[in-house]
Amino acid sequence: MQPSHLALLVLLSPLGSAAIIALLFRRQGGIASVISVASAAVVAVGAVILAYGGHRFNASIDWFSFGEFTLSFGFKFDDLAALMLAIVGVVGFCVHLFSLGYMNDDENKARYFGGLSVFMFSMIGIVLADNLFMIFVFWELVGFSSYLLINHYCLKQSAADASKKAFIVNRVGDFGFLIGILICYWNYGTVDLNELPAVVAGGAMMSVLAPILLFCGAIGKSAQMPLHVWLPDAMEGPTPVSALIHAATMVAAGIYMLCRIEVLMTADALNIILWIGTITAVYAALCAVVQSDIKKVLAYSTLSQLGYMVAAFGLGSLMVEHDGHEVLLAAGVGAAMFHLTTHAFFKALLFLGSGSVIHGCHHEQNIFKMGGLARKMPLTFVTFTIGVLAIAGLPFLSGFYSKDAILHLAGEKNGLIFGLLVFTAVLTSFYMIRMWRITFLGEPRSDAASHAHESGIAMTAPLVVLAILSIIGGYTTHEGAGLIYGSAFAEIWSQIPHPEGIGVFIKSLAILAVGAGLAFVLYKPSAQDGLATKAPGVFTALTALKESFDAAYNYYVAKIQDRFAMLLNFLEQVLLAGLIIRGLAGVVGLFGLGARALHVGSLHAYVYWFLLGAVLLWGFAGGLF
Amino acid sequence: MDLLLIAILSPLALSLAMVLGLPKAVARNLAYVGFAIPAVIGIWLWCQYGAATKESGYAFLTSYDTGLSGLGINLTLGLNGIAMPLFAMAGIVGLAAGLYALQSAAERLNQYVLLLLVMQGGLMGVFASVDVFFFYFFHELALIPTFIMVGIWGGRDRNYAAMKMTIYLTVGAMLSLIGLIAIYYTSGAQTFDMIALREAVADQGLSTVAQKNIFGLLMVGFGVLVSLWPLHTWAPLGYGAAPSSVAMLHAGVLKKFGLYGLIQVAMPLLPQGAQHWALILATLAVVGNVLVVGIITIAQRDLKQLVGYSSVMHMGYAFLGIACISLVGVGGVVFMMVAHGFSAALLFLLATSIHHRTQTFDLDEMGGLVKHAPVLSAFFVAATLASIGLPGFANFWGEITIFVAAWKVFPVLTVIAVGGVVISAIYGLRAAARVFFGPQTEAFDKVLEEKPAADLSWSEKLPALILLVSLLALGFWPKLMSDSINESVTEIYTAAEAVEPVDVARN
Repeated sequence: MQPSHLALLVLLSPLGSAAIIALLFRRQGGIASVISVASAAVVAVGAVILAYGGHRFNASIDWFSFGEFTLSFGFKFDDLAALMLAIVGVVGFCVHLFSLGYMNDDENKARYFGGLSVFMFSMIGIVLADNLFMIFVFWELVGFSSYLLINHYCLKQSAADASKKAFIVNRVGDFGFLIGILICYWNYGTVDLNELPAVVAGGAMMSVLAPILLFCGAIGKSAQMPLHVWLPDAMEGPTPVSALIHAATMVAAGIYMLCRIEVLMTADALNIILWIGTITAVYAALCAVVQSDIKKVLAYSTLSQLGYMVAAFGLGSLMVEHDGHEVLLAAGVGAAMFHLTTHAFFKALLFLGSGSVIHGCHHEQNIFKMGGLARKMPLTFVTFTIGVLAIAGLPFLSGFYSKDAILHLAGEKNGLIFGLLVFTAVLTSFYMIRMWRITFLGEPRSDAASHAHESGIAMTAPLVVLAILSIIGGYTTHEGAGLIYGSAFAEIWSQIPHPEGIGVFIKSLAILAVGAGLAFVLYKPSAQDGLATKAPGVFTALTALKESFDAAYNYYVAKIQDRFAMLLNFLEQVLLAGLIIRGLAGVVGLFGLGARALHVGSLHAYVYWFLLGAVLLWGFAGGLF
Repeated sequence: MDLLLIAILSPLALSLAMVLGLPKAVARNLAYVGFAIPAVIGIWLWCQYGAATKESGYAFLTSYDTGLSGLGINLTLGLNGIAMPLFAMAGIVGLAAGLYALQSAAERLNQYVLLLLVMQGGLMGVFASVDVFFFYFFHELALIPTFIMVGIWGGRDRNYAAMKMTIYLTVGAMLSLIGLIAIYYTSGAQTFDMIALREAVADQGLSTVAQKNIFGLLMVGFGVLVSLWPLHTWAPLGYGAAPSSVAMLHAGVLKKFGLYGLIQVAMPLLPQGAQHWALILATLAVVGNVLVVGIITIAQRDLKQLVGYSSVMHMGYAFLGIACISLVGVGGVVFMMVAHGFSAALLFLLATSIHHRTQTFDLDEMGGLVKHAPVLSAFFVAATLASIGLPGFANFWGEITIFVAAWKVFPVLTVIAVGGVVISAIYGLRAAARVFFGPQTEAFDKVLEEKPAADLSWSEKLPALILLVSLLALGFWPKLMSDSINESVTEIYTAAEAVEPVDVARN
């Protein structure tokens, strides 16, 4: 089998699964779940074969063309795509497997698994796409699958609202994205990712607007400020969906897309991207501190980490003088993709772990009503702890390497950004330890928690796999044994900045110690939020900070947008429909009595007029008159 | 055997037989055949089109003398790449509308079906005609039953709506008729044959003044028929009142007459006139149809009015594509016309199916319908997403092509038009959420107590499925249609541009 055919199989097998489920097994959730998991297995195996088998290729056909405008359907499978595809395949399969247990009792299991398959199809499309229009096509489709899955519990008003919000906010981002693509098309004459580097190298006039507008797409999809508001609400969806779509893969697509179009970046554009990423990272970490819903903590944490990746990309490349030549030492692409990879592992782990907790506690999500779960759910506890330590950057775990790569790059490039990112890292270990301690330690604080039980093998097996990946996912080089990556992604991994010396460990341990120490001081495993009792001012301020954006958007929608719509509607009814049609009727009246009879008389008169006209015409043409 | 003529005449012949007293039961069964024949022929010719021999760009060309040849009028039938997909679309939407009507419990169903068959015959004729006179004639033939059906079988405000539609559409049709006759005279060709007209104009273009005036007339005339802002107010009202099959056929198919006239007749024959009016047309389309009407759509509380307004809004994209006067723009418009035909018809059909279950179109009195009718809700969400241009459905290709074409000519207006993508997501998803998701409203609880809601029956599902499959097929494989459109548009428009070099640098 040719590699491009295998890639096509990987792309289409989830689509086939979704189609079969929709057409045949809408009511048979069991069969639907098997089909969907099987397609995810095909994806995972195919992705691994493609990524590790040394297959790198380009292939494309015309999808559609009008005049000089051609839109092609093609694959660009380089190391970047291979890495992303492998992540999507492996994490995707883990989540499918986990869903078998988590969604077992759900009434609408078939719809859920169909939605997951639609998502896999669309996400793989983004990964493989070789041009911006095709990315846009699948970009919108992942938005649709996200809408579908957030809305899974669609009889709940909050779920219905959240799904709608996610789609609309993403469309706002896509508005900029699409215009960016149009500019790119007319400015460079192509949107093909293989041709763009040559065009740019050929001295094409660089557009400053294009990269910024394309970045708008990432702002929407990767939930950066100020379009971040949809992601916390998206937690209305089932937890495995949050793990796959709203943590590991889809929301990271924005960063992937930026890496795809790196060649279009200008210094100004990178600077804007850098700041938006950094502000998002800090802001979301602050918000995460005051959340009491386990999924919301993780959601804000995801926002914050996505901000980290965006900032990493914005830092750009690091060049050094070497024998009179500029040598590329490291690039934002490497750091961003590295963190994207490790984050996919440990955040999927944390979300699935939280799913296991929620499942065990009969759908209780408030951490203050949990407690003592360490003993009740030992496997979940151990794997979750690994996830917490990985994200907090404990040395030798995956998050340590990727976060330090970013901090190192920031330290070399921009002191202020470095300071803000370190502050974010401290906050990260602070809120993660807070959540971990309140959830798992102490005594059970509710009936649900005291009757909690460990989840079944379908749910714990993916946790173990992801926990292992979270531990070893940081070893990207051969010195680090190259454990799981081999040399498959050398093109990306070679761009990772590598800090050296013992200082790295001290820095990381200091960050962890400060954050965790503060969390231990402030929070006890109790039913009260420690911060709210000890420093109510700070708690209130952070809560207000979190709510300010939603309040502003709600005000805009209710008080400006909807009122403006009603005003225009009123004007239309009164002015256009009222005055002008009456005016027109008056003019028609001037045509005289016959015309008036025609226009205000019986409708049947029309038929006769028509027939009379036809007869007269034929008569005239036939020479009767 | 001329399949085009059969497609036109079979519904007309059946309706004539019904007038002459065909027994009711026989008539109803035959009606299925009457609606099916045009659809089958449409799809068959679509498949044959690529391999068919073409004369002057038209396949399946035949001409009949109707006794009007003295005036340069012949019943000339044929399909080029622009007409072919529209012809097939008319057949398919007609079949869906017919099936939906036949399963409805309309009073005096026989008369209703009879009029629908007349309309169907007219629709097939519009897109099969190569003669401008018959093109117009068939439009009128389809339009008159529309008025009658709205007036008799319509819903709320049907008399007012029927009158308003009649006045607007008659004035629009009259203006465009004057424009077409003016072309007939000023071209000096003394014929209504499109091919001959194009050849005559290619030899010697019309004077610039004549072009500007005639195009202006046609733009306003056709504009009324296609609901160009601010001449659109008949549309939401009319569609709100129209019975579902009529709204499906008018909004989906018959409305495309105006756009089709602009593309096949006005722009190739009057390139300078088009150039002169392009900026005005684009501005009205984008600021009026897309922006203003789009925002007004957000404020709608009546589901059917909302669908009607959204249909008006999407016509803005079509006008924008036409105003680009380019191969890419016109290609995008034709694609969009076909796609919109399917999606608008599907939305009107589903809106009525929702009404059967909720007994109201008021969005404030619904909610939670997904629990009772999951398949209906899946169809409605799909139709909504199709109409707001989600990839995977045909409409997306039309929109994106129009945006690509428009950016080159009107960048500022294009930005606003792309913004319409957000506006349509707002009203589309809000409507879906208010009908289907969230808890049931109290008003809906009461309705359900009296009449429990069931999911879509097969007789409702089949017509909806026909439309949805069409949208998906073209959405996944746009080449099914784009190649033939591209071929004809290229042929017609490069010929038109060769007459008078066109200055593209505007705005």
